[in-house]
Amino acid sequence: MAQQLSDDELSAALAGDPSGFSAVYTVISPAVLGYFRARGVDDAEALTQDVFVDVLPKLAGVSGGHAGLRTFIFSVAHARLVDYRRRAERTPHLAEYDPLNDARYSASAEDEVLGSLGGISDTLARLNEEQREVLVLRIVADLSIEQVAGIMDKTPGAIKQLQRRGLSALRELVTEKDHAAS
Amino acid sequence: MTGTRDPQQDGTIQAMLGDSGLESAAELRSALEQLRAVVPDAAPAPRADLAALLAAGTAGATGLAAAPDAATTTALPTVASAKNDADESLPAGVTSLAGRRGRKRRLAIVGGAVVGAMTLGAGAVAASSEDFRHSVSHTVGVIFQAPGHGGTPAPERVQPSPSTIPALPAPVATPGHGTPGADLSGASTPSSSSTPGAPAAGHAPPATPPAVGRDGILPTPGQRPGAPGLPGSPDLPGGGGNAGKDLPRVPGHITPTLPGVVPTKAPGQP
Repeated sequence: MAQQLSDDELSAALAGDPSGFSAVYTVISPAVLGYFRARGVDDAEALTQDVFVDVLPKLAGVSGGHAGLRTFIFSVAHARLVDYRRRAERTPHLAEYDPLNDARYSASAEDEVLGSLGGISDTLARLNEEQREVLVLRIVADLSIEQVAGIMDKTPGAIKQLQRRGLSALRELVTEKDHAAS
Repeated sequence: MTGTRDPQQDGTIQAMLGDSGLESAAELRSALEQLRAVVPDAAPAPRADLAALLAAGTAGATGLAAAPDAATTTALPTVASAKNDADESLPAGVTSLAGRRGRKRRLAIVGGAVVGAMTLGAGAVAASSEDFRHSVSHTVGVIFQAPGHGGTPAPERVQPSPSTIPALPAPVATPGHGTPGADLSGASTPSSSSTPGAPAAGHAPPATPPAVGRDGILPTPGQRPGAPGLPGSPDLPGGGGNAGKDLPRVPGHITPTLPGVVPTKAPGQP
């Protein structure tokens, strides 16, 4: 995220020239990976690479510069996430036996403390699906309201509303957790 | 954590908080920064196919930097091939769903057409021929009566009985109930032209009418199976002289079948 695409790399990539692919991958794939991780995908790296294998050969038709490239890549990532969710609904969840997931045991005090420290994705998971998507796209993918509106196929006003509600819900969850922890 | 990120990203969070009127919520800001920290610093190591795609680009880039003429000649074919692959055929591992979707729709349409045609045909046959309706009602009656009784010999006697019995119980039953009713029924029966025939027929099968007349309540069930003809009548001749005893069994047999089913379920459930 710290890096930015140079204009030469961008124009090369948008012209369909593979010399820009590597730069695009290096700059944008961390955000895509973070997006999938924040949304709780099991194998976020594989999905990220799927997205780029899909996206890179099609960059030639993208317009709109930096913002257009980002919007295009994240709209593909959003579609992949929706596909992933649908597939995950249909396939049974296979998991090795993990004593931590066994509901018959209660968590130890250490686990509770550790869980309360870094559980932002757990907190996010308690939000509404659309609110979560808006927040993650806005913060992790670093997109503007209009870009998020284009990706989620909604009006910018609806995105603003979702963002406002998501933020206030997240604030309630966070303060509630702080009170519970303290 | 605030200082580690560049100011532009902080600006995004700040703008989001400002839009929602939550600038003062420090814990919310830290949560959002935590969320932003999910983004890793480095790109994940590319998979084999992605690495090949990227390697084509880097080879082209170095070639371009080193010798433009040679690089364009080597790089352009790869570009062209990649674009052609993306445009015309789907990438490896991706199967087009369009064909399957069409097939599924076609299957549904064909199935619907077949079912509709069969329904129309059966309806037309049922509307046109009475025999079909009779045979269907007969088979339905046989199917639903068969588990209750083993009345296979009975249907042979069915055919004489409906002619005699339904004519009889009406006059016989009403005298059984009371004498004023007998007068009315007697007045009604002479009005019909077959008055001599009716007593003659009433005397001809002596066994059944007394059996029906004794119970008094029975003639109405006796008439009801007589009118449909087939399903109830096996009980009447099947009983022969015991027709009065067999008739109450008809409801008696039907009702036990239901409890007979229920107890089997009841032990099965716990």
